[in-house]
Parts: sequence; structure tokens; C-alpha cells
Amino acid sequence: MNAITPNAPALPAPVGLLAELTHRCPLRCPYCSNPLELDRRSGELDTATWQRVLTEAAALGVLHVHLSGGEPTARNDIVEITQTCAKLGLYSNLITSGVGGALAKLDALYDVGLDHVQLSVQGVDAANAEKIGGLKNAQPQKFAFAERVTQLGLPLTLNSVIHRGNIHEVEGFIDLAVKLGAKRLEVAHTQYYGWAYVNRAALMPNKADVDRSIRIVEAARERLKGQLVIDLVVPDYYAKYPKACAGGWGRKLMNVTPAGKVLPCHAAETIKQLEFWYVTDHSLGDIWANSPAFTAYRGTDWMQEPCRSCDRREKDWGGCRCQALALAGDAAATDPACSLSPLHAKVRDLATEEAAETPPDYTYRTIGSNVQPNVRSPLNEEVSL
Amino acid sequence: MTAPFPTPVTDESQRLLSPDELAAALRDIGARRYHNLHPFHRLLHDGKLNKDQVRAWALNRYYYQAMIPIKDAAVLARMEDASLRRIWRQRIVDHDGDAPGDGGIERWLKLAEGVGFTRDYVESTQGILSATRFSVDAYVHFVKERSLLEAIASSLTEMFSPTIISERVAGMLKNYDFITKDTLAYFDKRLTQAPRDADFALDYVQQHATTPQLQRQAMAALTFKCNVLWTQLDALYFAYVAPGMIPPDAWTPGTGLVPEAAATTTAQAAGTGTLGPHDVPRLPRGVRLRHDAVRDQHVLLAPERTFDLDANAVAVLEYVDGTRTVRDIAGLLAEKFTADRAVIEADILVMLNDLATKRVLER
Repeated sequence: MNAITPNAPALPAPVGLLAELTHRCPLRCPYCSNPLELDRRSGELDTATWQRVLTEAAALGVLHVHLSGGEPTARNDIVEITQTCAKLGLYSNLITSGVGGALAKLDALYDVGLDHVQLSVQGVDAANAEKIGGLKNAQPQKFAFAERVTQLGLPLTLNSVIHRGNIHEVEGFIDLAVKLGAKRLEVAHTQYYGWAYVNRAALMPNKADVDRSIRIVEAARERLKGQLVIDLVVPDYYAKYPKACAGGWGRKLMNVTPAGKVLPCHAAETIKQLEFWYVTDHSLGDIWANSPAFTAYRGTDWMQEPCRSCDRREKDWGGCRCQALALAGDAAATDPACSLSPLHAKVRDLATEEAAETPPDYTYRTIGSNVQPNVRSPLNEEVSL
Repeated sequence: MTAPFPTPVTDESQRLLSPDELAAALRDIGARRYHNLHPFHRLLHDGKLNKDQVRAWALNRYYYQAMIPIKDAAVLARMEDASLRRIWRQRIVDHDGDAPGDGGIERWLKLAEGVGFTRDYVESTQGILSATRFSVDAYVHFVKERSLLEAIASSLTEMFSPTIISERVAGMLKNYDFITKDTLAYFDKRLTQAPRDADFALDYVQQHATTPQLQRQAMAALTFKCNVLWTQLDALYFAYVAPGMIPPDAWTPGTGLVPEAAATTTAQAAGTGTLGPHDVPRLPRGVRLRHDAVRDQHVLLAPERTFDLDANAVAVLEYVDGTRTVRDIAGLLAEKFTADRAVIEADILVMLNDLATKRVLER
């Protein structure tokens, strides 16, 4: 059944593995990319299983491993797992909040060959940052962590998720990145899946502020050329074209959850009809090639119009499937972030309206809560045109 | 190594060439010496110069453009034949225009303004390199002092210019987002003017170089003119690419620009800066050269990014070990590929500086 047929292009190997080692995290950010139903510690994969998964990933062609969570340093075996990456030649990227036990483990991670650290910062002003992250005294811990990263000579990237509560701080994030000695800064406008979807009305910035933030980043890129690389992720709802989610479904990235479920992207579980396979039942290579969740939206055969005949279909791959489901009610629809989607104008209006209203309080992420998204949809009649 | 031209050593080389042979010999000079072969031009056309390096080129080249009508007026002054003068004077009209706001010099000023200069600063020529001034002035003196045949022959670089212009226009539009089609209007005109001028000049030289000695003089005149152009690029390269030695009083990035342009002057980054031939590049922690067995290719692994490398880049990076200078590396590559070290050095400096800008290479 796996015979190569003349018309089928060879399946490219994945380049990245997002290893969500745990969903546990001291922070409670209201835009967390983790699913609403968080895995508990008792269900997490053990060390040996992660090591097997990493070995399979290296053989499959994965080059970068993103050690993420939750807070990955909450795992007692984070050093062993990082060491396994180094032994396999995998590029290890620690995606961390820098709080809790992170600093205490940093030197050991350096010693076993950690390649890169991506540190999240929720805000520039400490009170604002700690309100967003939902943890007191987080900011000084983050700064101490960043200082040790650069002292060790590890490359540091600062990641700032931008939304209504901190969009006025974009200049501050750039200055902070320079001050902390980061080589890269991610100015990533919130993507509205998972917890961010629940909190959309509290997070959605207005168009004028978004445009201003983009101008600030563009000016800083010129000014700091050769010193700081700034990656900018623009917000979908105000964009013209959607982004190629995870570089295209099942094309570049695999995401393994704490319990070992393998997803094409971290939000894919919101598409309830998909069948996901577990690393405990299948090899990573088998999952990549044959898991129903990966084959469902790989390539272009599944597309509807306007994607199907669009020149950009192999550029953005129809955008985000999860967003298509959430906003258009059909995971195979064109992502409404795309200006070619019939729903695009409604989505933009929705964002504009939400951004103009008084923001509701955050719904912080917690394990074991029973949060259900209760946000307006462009499909609802109540949305004015 | 190619021998200097002409090489009057044997009887054969003394013989009178047919008009076609003479044209071929003149074209051969261009094929070996015209400045499209210069490393600086390769960098320019391939989009590998930064904005300030393009500015330096536009500023210096203005002096050459501005002096061309003076040169042509000197040639004209030596022509005793009115029919010749009627043809030659068209060159002056092309450059000066018939009215303010017209002509080749004006279009060059537009180009210089297009890359951010104020018009006054460019016209003052106060920031140009001495080597630019010396070369251009030598050209003007040459046409005044040598025979009319040599003066006309020296203009024959126009035979080669349409190729370089189309390469340049295509390359610059493709590679520099600050260059627009309007900015390059100068070259649109030259694409039709240069062949017309060259046809006339070649015809004249073929008719009037009637002895072996006169033919050799014509060839030497063209060689001289190629050197006038080449020397200007040598000086630009030396001052603004590598080793980056800008002479006193010459233009430095940030000056002579309109305020908006000054704000976008290429920043000298703390910790990295621009790499020169004597710097020692190294891959910092978190950047690794690796062979990817699954895809059978070399990759540079960096924070959140992977660079696919071609064979040339791999050859360079394999020598980047934190002890060798750029010049050492160029020397090793020159041996390995039996190529010219200076050309390799120019190429790898561009590549290494590009990686430094992306923060994956340090010194």
C-alpha cells in the first residue's frame, strides 16, 4: 500500500518537532496555545518514551526540536531529554517562561548541549506583565534567567505575544530585547485559537494600534540591523492573506502532546472529527505518513473554492484549519482570515467591534476547568455588517 | 595571466589588420578588461551591496557623467570637418539636454536622489574619491592631448555597455527594494544611444586606422579607457567594500542625504559590525553546520531557522573555525579551486556579512 505511484510526489520529511513535554506551567496566560482540556501530570509520557520519540524523529529527518509545554523545565528529566537531543544531533530549542525552576536547571542544560533559549515576556511594565501572566513576581525571575542565558553565551530569543493589553509596549519590548542581550525578538500578534479564542474580546487590539505596531517594528529592524533580528507575526483578522499554518498541514511540523498524541499543529485537537494517533501505539514515521489526522488536510486535494483554484494554494495552504472550523464552521473551508473568504469582511468587522468595546476580564488558563468558548462568530446573525 | 595589449613582438603582430579583424581585436579588449568583469559590479548587479555601497557608487559615478560633455566638447574642438562635428555634438545634447530638467546628467542626478542624496551634495562633488577625480580627469586630458583617432577610439567602451546596462537594470530592480524603474531612467536612454554612438566611432576607427601603428594606437586608447572605468571601481571597492578604508574627506555613510534617507543608513551593529578581510569569523554557540543525512545536504542550524547551503557556502563555512581570518579562508579556497584569491575574498565577504546581519555569524 505504500508503493510509490508515478503521480504521487514523495512525502517530504518533517523538519521540526514541537515536544510539549508537559502542560504544567506556573503562568496562566489567557492566550495560551495549549488546549482547553489540559493533560495532567499522571498522563505524561515517561523519559524513555520521549527518548525513543526523539530517536525516531532524528531518523525521520527532523532537524529542530522545540522543547515546550507548558513549562518544559517543570519536568524533572528536562536535562536528560535535552542531552538526548544533543547526542542525536537535533537542534534543541528551550521554549520557557523562565520562572519557577527554570533558572536552577539552566547551567545543567547548557552543559549537556542546549542550543537556544526562547524566553517569553508578557509585558514590559512588571505590573502589567504579571497581570497578563497571572503570576506575581514573575518579571524579576525572567530578567535573572535572561541574564544567565547571555552570561553562558547561549543565544537568546525573546518572545512577546501582542494583544490589546500590551500593544502599547511594542517599543518597550524592542528596548528590552536589546537590554537583555537577545539576538532575536518575536513580536507575535496573538493567534486566536485555544485559550486566546476564549479570551478574544479581551485581547483583540484595534486596527490603528496594529498598524502602528507594524511601523514600529519595521523602523526598528532598520535601526538595529545586524544587532537584533525581529520576527513579526501579524494578526490574522486584519490580514489580507492567511499564514501557512505550521508551514502547511503535515508538511514541516509534528507536535507531540504531553500524553503522546501526535498533532499536525498545536490546536488541531479542536477539530473533533480527526483521528489522532499516539506515539505509544505507532512509530513517528508511521504517524507522519499514515495517521488520518496528518493525511486529512495535507496537500491541496481536500480544498474547496476559492482555495482550490487559487494561485496561492501552495503558498498559504488555505490558511489555518482550526480557524476555518472556529469561524466558518467547516475545517475544510477557506480560512476566514483570507480576504478571498466570503466571511472575511464579517471577521474583520467582528474584530473591529470587539476592539472598540470595554474588554472583559481574562479567563486564565487552569488545569481541570470546564471552560467552553463562548465568543461571537461571524456565522451568528447578531453580527452587524 | 594575459599579456598587456598590444604586444608588438613578432612581424605577424605588426601586420595591418582587416577592418573585421580590427573590430574583433577591439572587442577582445572589452571581453577581458571592461568593468562589467569587476568584482564591484558583480556585487552591484547581484544585489549584494548594501544601500550605502550603492550610494557611494551613484555619487562617484556622477562625476564621470558630469565630465562626459566636457570630454566630448574637447573632442569636438579638434574636429575640422563640420559633418563629423554635427554627429559628435549629439553626444553633448544627449548628456546636457536641450533644456533644464532634460538630459543624461539630469537623469543621473535623479538616480542619486533616488538613493537618498540631496542634489546639491551630489553636484558639489565634494564627497567623491580622489581616484574617481584622477581617473576622470585623465580621460579628459587624454582626448585633448592624443590624436583624434585615439580620442574617438577611447569612446569605444560604448560597444560593450548595452550588455552591462541590461544586466544592471534587471539586477538592480530585482535585488534592491530602494531602486525603482524611475530611478534607473538614465539607462533606458543609454540602451539606444550607446550602440548608435559606438557604430559611428567604430566605423571611424576602422576607416582611419590605416597602418599597423595607428591600429595599435587605437587599441591602446581603448585599453586606457577600460582602465579609467576599472580604476574607479577599484577605488570604490577599497573604500566601501573591503578593507573599507575611506580616504579623508571622502563621503561617509549618513552625510549628504535627505533626512529620511539618513535615518536608514546601514547601522554598524555592536558586537558584529561589518566583517573585513582581517576579521576572524566564527559560528557562535547555537549555530551549527550539519550534514542532513535524510535529505543528503548540508544545513546551517540556527535559532528557529535552518539555512539550506549550496556547495560553495559549505566550502566556506567548513573553513570558519574561529582562528582563520577571512583572508586566510579566501587563500585556502583559492588553492582548493585554483581561482583568484581577491575575487573569492570579495564573494565570501558578502556571504559572511549577510550571515552576520542575520545574527548567525560573529567575529
